[in-house]
Amino acid sequence: MRTDHPLWHAKHIVRMGLLLLLGVTVMIVVRSLLVPDTWGQYGWYRGANVEEQRDHPLQHGGDASCAGCHPEQEATHAAGAHAAVRCELCHAPVALHAKDDAYFAAMPVRRTAALCVSCHQRLAARPADFPQIRPQEHVAEMGGEYGPEACFDCHDPHAPL
Amino acid sequence: MNDATGTRDGLDDATRREFLKRLAVAGAAASFGAIGLILPESAGALATSDYDWTRHRWVYLIDTRKCIGCGACVRACRVENDVPDGMYRTWVERYHIPAGGEAAVDSPDGGAGGFLPVAGAAEPGKAFFVPKICNHCEQTPCTQVCPVGASYSTRDGVVLVDAERCIGCGYCVQACPYGSRYLDPRTHTAEKCTWCYHRLVKGRSTACVGICPTAARMIGDRENPDDPINEILATQRILVLQPELLTKPQCFYLGLDMEVR
Ligand code: HEC
Ligand code: HEC
Ligand code: HEC
Ligand code: HEC
Repeated sequence: MRTDHPLWHAKHIVRMGLLLLLGVTVMIVVRSLLVPDTWGQYGWYRGANVEEQRDHPLQHGGDASCAGCHPEQEATHAAGAHAAVRCELCHAPVALHAKDDAYFAAMPVRRTAALCVSCHQRLAARPADFPQIRPQEHVAEMGGEYGPEACFDCHDPHAPL
Repeated sequence: MNDATGTRDGLDDATRREFLKRLAVAGAAASFGAIGLILPESAGALATSDYDWTRHRWVYLIDTRKCIGCGACVRACRVENDVPDGMYRTWVERYHIPAGGEAAVDSPDGGAGGFLPVAGAAEPGKAFFVPKICNHCEQTPCTQVCPVGASYSTRDGVVLVDAERCIGCGYCVQACPYGSRYLDPRTHTAEKCTWCYHRLVKGRSTACVGICPTAARMIGDRENPDDPINEILATQRILVLQPELLTKPQCFYLGLDMEVR
């Protein structure tokens, strides 16, 4: 092509175009290396994370998870005033105690008035129809002696009344 | 650049043209390859589970009139989700509002250890507990500010954080008007309530709902007409926190006082 040919100057455009193409190519390659495989599978996030979140292991099993190994406590509990209070609330999640239907670690037993008081202490903010006491006064009224295990002298934690 | 030979640097036109041509071909090939790489695989249902997220829509309900402030939910959440000490995915606040006076709010350790009587306080005009949890908003300020797409809403209505993507910038922690997020001091990534997504998809209730001794908390499925939560939402007077922010919280309250933010 001669230098006075009108298309001679179009070479600038072609070069610029090629440079642009190169730039875009580099961007796409770099992006494909940085963006995870499942990105955009369901939306603007890594799709594989949904399954990862679902795979998280369970810790709490509910009362049913205790019943098989502790039928006695389960029966007493289900018939008493604490039927609505979960075993794992006063003890601990089953995953810390039994795995695959086999016992492997001790379960905490909180034989303390503090456990009972955390729910039954009279507080202005508690609903008025929830059974509440002033611990010292209550024990004295009932003719007991107050101490860190006082409540258990008269109440079975699994069926308190 | 137009000197006598038409070149600047001694390369003749033919060589230059040849080089550029090859570059263009290589570039085009790489582009097509790369496009293949970034296209999503297929946007079908999740493969490894019989849980179909297009057939559920989770909502949460808190009846403040039933909460006794025992803190069992906070403790259960901590174990179920490995929440570090001093951080909370759910917590319980206590409000004391004397007649005509200013509200006093406390939440020692998020309420995890329960509450003691307020020493020396006069009988308040009104007092109550308010459990708090991520509202899993429909219009989420938190996911919108994430610069790396680490936080998102699932199709069944749960707001999650991908710890692998999260860079710990903390924008989402700032963006949430309800204070529902924190940076985990161990991983330096944002964490939040997942509505125990790992339990929901296995047909279980969340840890906090499951442990509550007075049924002050409930989670339910809007897509399931037999779910009792739908009856309550349809017939009771419900409220959300800070409705003026238009975040469309999916955590509803019964018996909420206007002092609660
Ligand atoms: C796979 C069977 C199994 C399951 C499931 C199980 N336990 Fe146990 N648990 C045991 C065995 C065995 C012991 C006795 C350990 C010992 O005597 O040292 C025990 C001990 C206990 C103790 C301690 C008794 C004591 O005096 O120290 C408590 C409390 C307890 N379990 C509560 C629970 C609760 C609550 C659950 C449900 C969340 C549960 N267990 C589920 C097998 C089980
Ligand atoms: C209100 C709190 C509370 C609840 C709810 C509760 N426990 Fe207990 N549990 C205790 C306490 C406190 C003790 C210790 C009692 C004692 O030493 O007299 C105990 C003791 C036990 C023991 C040791 C043996 C015994 O009977 O003393 C077992 C096993 C046990 N619980 C299992 C269960 C199971 C299973 C459930 C649910 C069905 C349950 N607990 C629910 C508080 C509770
Ligand atoms: C997690 C909270 C919680 C803990 C801890 C707890 N309780 Fe309860 N308790 C309840 C609930 C809920 C009820 C049922 C209240 C109702 O029926 O309205 C109840 C009922 C009772 C009742 C019967 C009250 C009535 O009038 O029917 C007694 C008595 C009682 N608890 C004593 C105890 C004792 C003693 C302990 C300690 C071993 C204890 N509670 C620990 C929540 C708790
Ligand atoms: C000396 C025996 C005794 C001791 C000790 C005792 N209680 Fe009681 N408690 C009773 C009796 C009896 C009742 C039933 C009273 C009634 O029905 O009026 C009762 C009732 C209750 C109630 C129900 C109150 C209501 O308004 O319905 C609660 C809650 C309670 N006790 C909690 C406790 C706690 C917590 C402790 C430990 C700090 C404790 N009790 C220690 C004998 C005792």
